[in-house]
Amino acid sequence: MNRRNGTVPARIAAIATHLPDTVLDNDTLAADFPSWPAEKILEKTGIRERRVAAAQETALDLGCAAAAKLFATGTVRPDEVDFLLFCTQAPDHILPTSACIMQDRLGLPQQIGALDFNLGCSGYVYGLSLAAGLIAAGAARRVLLVTADTYSKYIHTRDKSVRTLFGDGAAATLVEAAPDTGCEIGPFVFGTDGSGAESLIVKAGGFRHPHSADTLIETEDRSGNIRSADNLYMDGGAVMSFTLREVPRAFRQLLAKSDTNVDDYDHIVLHQANKFMLDALQKKLDLTDDKVPRRFEDIGNTVSSTIPFVLAGLLEDGKLDAGTRIMAIGFGVGLSWAAVTIAM
Amino acid sequence: MSEFYEGLAEILEVEPSKLTSDLALDEGVWDSLAIVSTIALIDEVYDRTVSADALSECRTVGEIEKLVGSDS
Repeated sequence: MNRRNGTVPARIAAIATHLPDTVLDNDTLAADFPSWPAEKILEKTGIRERRVAAAQETALDLGCAAAAKLFATGTVRPDEVDFLLFCTQAPDHILPTSACIMQDRLGLPQQIGALDFNLGCSGYVYGLSLAAGLIAAGAARRVLLVTADTYSKYIHTRDKSVRTLFGDGAAATLVEAAPDTGCEIGPFVFGTDGSGAESLIVKAGGFRHPHSADTLIETEDRSGNIRSADNLYMDGGAVMSFTLREVPRAFRQLLAKSDTNVDDYDHIVLHQANKFMLDALQKKLDLTDDKVPRRFEDIGNTVSSTIPFVLAGLLEDGKLDAGTRIMAIGFGVGLSWAAVTIAM
Repeated sequence: MSEFYEGLAEILEVEPSKLTSDLALDEGVWDSLAIVSTIALIDEVYDRTVSADALSECRTVGEIEKLVGSDS
């Protein structure tokens, strides 16, 4: 750990992504929601299609597929991984930990640590902080960070407020110690506001509100969306207000903490919520299009995997060469947010 | 035509010239997406955050203006 400014000599060595096969396009949604023609969905959300996991396909399956692709690149072998972090809000079971099952499925050594953490759209940046912390502490050298979610399983088919936005997907990121390379992860800025828990929530199914006949009761809101307590609910307005309030603040805090200014960054990678949110944020942060890469038109909002989907695209395009500096900001359900500076 | 009215006309999908304080926000148009977009518009034009709940209670354009506290 470089105590001067909270950086860790570590790097993102490889990223692989995975999407389920089933496509949910705007024509299909328009047939279900006659007030929203396909063109309007695209114009407003910026999303043309999303992927949806099959009935028997879980976040764990998607995450394993992403990790398998990462190993197939030859960057790292399974036996070289010494810690596994899995971020999901749709685990296979209440217990055991999905990451433990993943260790076995991926053929990772039994001498590794493995744990799940439950975060949504802020999860990738939090995962990087955990990975960097393990490396800084000397507890691990090669951390496999897997993000995967299947919000589709929580979404009511008659709720256009979320069905149009979210897509299922997964990413696997290898974070490894990189002393004396100039590569750095950090500093980080974190934020949490649990008073906004109800703004983005699947209310039932835990122990506060166990599944019951009552939690299956469907209600219709003012906009004509139908859902039950078992389904995902998003108060879009509250989430927009929170985002416009906290993300610019975290952005400025990170610039101050890392003693950088906007021009020092090649890319500002924001959580890919949707077009209208990114447009609003980008305006507020006064950032130009070329600085803020986007990837949601063909996959939607993949929750904790949106940032690695963008990073994977940049890697593929050769835009993350040595010396590149990026900022990543995740924000959403919790409410929870985090920002990080990464020197590649 | 103020920046706010232009933005609001786009969100409500009406001709800018048709937009007046008296215009009713009918349920078909004043949905969650319109409210979200209006929060972003108010933030952009007035650098002010309005509550989503209060905004969803508005039934006319004039009530939005009252909420913003502007005289545009």
